[in-house]
Amino acid sequence: MPTDTLTSPAPDLENPFQYRRDAAHYGEKATLWLIRTGTYLVLLAAACIFLQIGIKGSETVFTTHWPFVNTAFFTEKPSTLYVFEWEGKKHELSDSEFRAFKAERHVEDIPAESYAHSAGGILPCIVGTVLLVAGSMTIALILGVASAIYLSEYARPSWRMRLIRLAIVNLAGVPSIVFGLFGAALFVVYFKWNISLLAGWFTLALMVLPVVITSSEEALKAVPQGFREASLALGATKWQTIRTNVLPYAVPGILTSSILGIARVAGETAPILFTAAYVVRDKYPWEVDRWVDFFFQPVQALPYHIYVVSSKIPQNAYTERMQYGTAFVFLAIVLLISLGSVLLRIRLRNKLKW
Amino acid sequence: MIAIIVLGLITFFLFREGAEFFPQNLQNLRLYRKAGLEYVGLMREQTAAHATLNRSLQDLRVRQIMAMLKAGKTQEEAQAALAEFDTYATQFDAAVGDLRSLVSDLTDEVTAIKEKAKIHDDALEQREFLLKEGKKTEADAVKTATVDFKAELAPVLATFPAYTAAVATLKQNLEVVLEKPLTLPVHEYQPRYKHFQNAVRAYLKTFPETEEKLKNWRADAPVPWWRSLTSFLFGTEWITNSFWQDWYGILPLLAGSLLVSIIALLIAVPLGVCAAVYVSELAQPAEAKFIKPYLEFISAIPSVVLGFFGIAVLGEHIRQLTQWHALSWISAFPIAERLNAFTAGALLALMAIPTIFSLSEDALNSIPRHFKEASYALGATRLQTILRVLVPASLSGIVSAVLLGFGRVIGETMVVLLCAGNRIAIPDFTEGIGTVFQPVHTMTGIVAQELGEVANGTLHYRALFMVGLFLFFLALFINWLAQTVVRKYKISIG
Repeated sequence: MPTDTLTSPAPDLENPFQYRRDAAHYGEKATLWLIRTGTYLVLLAAACIFLQIGIKGSETVFTTHWPFVNTAFFTEKPSTLYVFEWEGKKHELSDSEFRAFKAERHVEDIPAESYAHSAGGILPCIVGTVLLVAGSMTIALILGVASAIYLSEYARPSWRMRLIRLAIVNLAGVPSIVFGLFGAALFVVYFKWNISLLAGWFTLALMVLPVVITSSEEALKAVPQGFREASLALGATKWQTIRTNVLPYAVPGILTSSILGIARVAGETAPILFTAAYVVRDKYPWEVDRWVDFFFQPVQALPYHIYVVSSKIPQNAYTERMQYGTAFVFLAIVLLISLGSVLLRIRLRNKLKW
Repeated sequence: MIAIIVLGLITFFLFREGAEFFPQNLQNLRLYRKAGLEYVGLMREQTAAHATLNRSLQDLRVRQIMAMLKAGKTQEEAQAALAEFDTYATQFDAAVGDLRSLVSDLTDEVTAIKEKAKIHDDALEQREFLLKEGKKTEADAVKTATVDFKAELAPVLATFPAYTAAVATLKQNLEVVLEKPLTLPVHEYQPRYKHFQNAVRAYLKTFPETEEKLKNWRADAPVPWWRSLTSFLFGTEWITNSFWQDWYGILPLLAGSLLVSIIALLIAVPLGVCAAVYVSELAQPAEAKFIKPYLEFISAIPSVVLGFFGIAVLGEHIRQLTQWHALSWISAFPIAERLNAFTAGALLALMAIPTIFSLSEDALNSIPRHFKEASYALGATRLQTILRVLVPASLSGIVSAVLLGFGRVIGETMVVLLCAGNRIAIPDFTEGIGTVFQPVHTMTGIVAQELGEVANGTLHYRALFMVGLFLFFLALFINWLAQTVVRKYKISIG
């Protein structure tokens, strides 16, 4: 009976559509894994940097006893570290402590190894960075939002618009050191502002301008056309419409993306090298005789301080403290800012829906 | 509006500070000729070449000692075995004696002339300044002694017979040295000695040419104006604050910048594109959600922190890695310098990866779905789809991402300033893989390093602005290229 073959198919017949595990299959698997490894290699490399600086830096920044944070590191000025032996004991003292130590014991001089910038704290650098960021972002936001409003609300497409857009894109690609040179030529030399906070502000502001303009423009474009039309239909002028019905809805978007600008401003060293930064200043920025001097004084800044401590002083156990501590604080600040920007963006995306 | 103004301002002010460079440099070059420095420079080159040969001889000696110590000989035995070699080396060194003393005398003389010319120029400037201020009597009081270059140079030029005599003795001495057969105690180095002999022969062959040049040299031959430009663009030396002559040639810096950037791109392009492909095609949604912000974080790491990491950690680790015995078959290992082009390049790669990643990912994502679907429908596997359909389709985007990454890398300052080693020299490309482990200096690095130290308005200051201007146009060019690639080679998706 032929029913026999129907119930049990020949066992040696293979399914021709079955997935075959041949060389090509393994080759594909291997390549896909290679791609995956490559990706994770990048992540691993970055993790190494974060961990190295995080671990070594937290030794400086945190302490094991109350208040768990090395307050001196955040409240003092950088000073020279003296390492010496006295009566069989090894001392590591900062400049002022060393002088007090000598005065106490009535000795003229103690042979000591000195390491510049390795003692004390980084308060002036933090203050300087905050000042630089605040001032330059104010300038950049005013200029950037103004030009974004013009570009997205008023401008008609024409060859001139194309030229402006091209200029913005190109401006974003200009190396930061060129901005530094330009700032030095225009503000420091030509306007005779010398190395000052003001020169640094303008240089940094011009540097982030493309970022601010592009992101503000996007935020403005995201406001639905209906808002404008409704306002115009009620008889409002164009400027009234923009002021009351467009800008308020674009502000969150503008702020979110300008936080990215902040991270960039805070992180750049090259533009302030010859426009705003000094290696050492005795005074804090607010200790000025006249209020105008405030704008025309150089400041210390975190990135410049890192540059100085990592290139101008030797690497050893005594200097490491300052180097890693500063790098840690700086990295933490910049990463927190960009983390804030990422989180804000996610929240905004979920919240604003038209 | 503002963007154009700023761009215009940047160009204008960089030009304003930089443009003065050319006339000043021309003056500098003219003085070089007028004061006879060029003349003596030719002779100096000759002694310098001899010194190089001498150094290679010394190098050979050190290598032999090392080899003998390794073979188990004591220091004294090694020294004794090299006695013959040492007399040979001394003889070789002494051969140049006459010429060397002549050149050093002449060097003093011509630098004195140059100094006089400088003093004269300064005095002139001072007088002009005073006249402008309206102080005529003071201006007249400033003494200016015009330098009579011809008279000053006459004694220098008169030494030509002495020079020919000195060269003749040098030639004779060297030929004597060459004829002498020398067997090295370490036989493996005999080919190197052969090589050295050949180099000496080649050196001897250049003598008539130099002599001819010196004979035909004229102090009053004009220096054409374009020499100022070509000496900047094609000059192979960047020497500042030297007693002899300052050279501002951009080539060593450009070569350094390019070397570092190429290393960075070689690392960053495969990894960046890999990551983009992985995130957009292969990764689980949760993975992608983690990797993308992570890469954004990497792009937020300030460059100066990366530079610090390179100095404090990476450089030393790479050096230790090259000291591993397992890697000793690579001729360049172990490397000598902690900070070199590779250290900087590796860190720059990390900066370029996020740029390349995000732009490539955008390009991959912008491919319409049906490209992928069509490929799968034809029975292609995932890998085939990625490599044959998706990557080619987004190639223009990927190429422009790479170009923008290149722009970011070549304009980066702090990492190269801290980690590239800062030695101003064109990398020696004959060293094979060792090339990437040489310390270099870059365009961005030199501006950052030297601008703070020079006085406004000097030639050096202007030269740095010219470097900045060059960088500026390079960045614009790269940007333009990236945009053109996107526009021109975009495949029609329809």
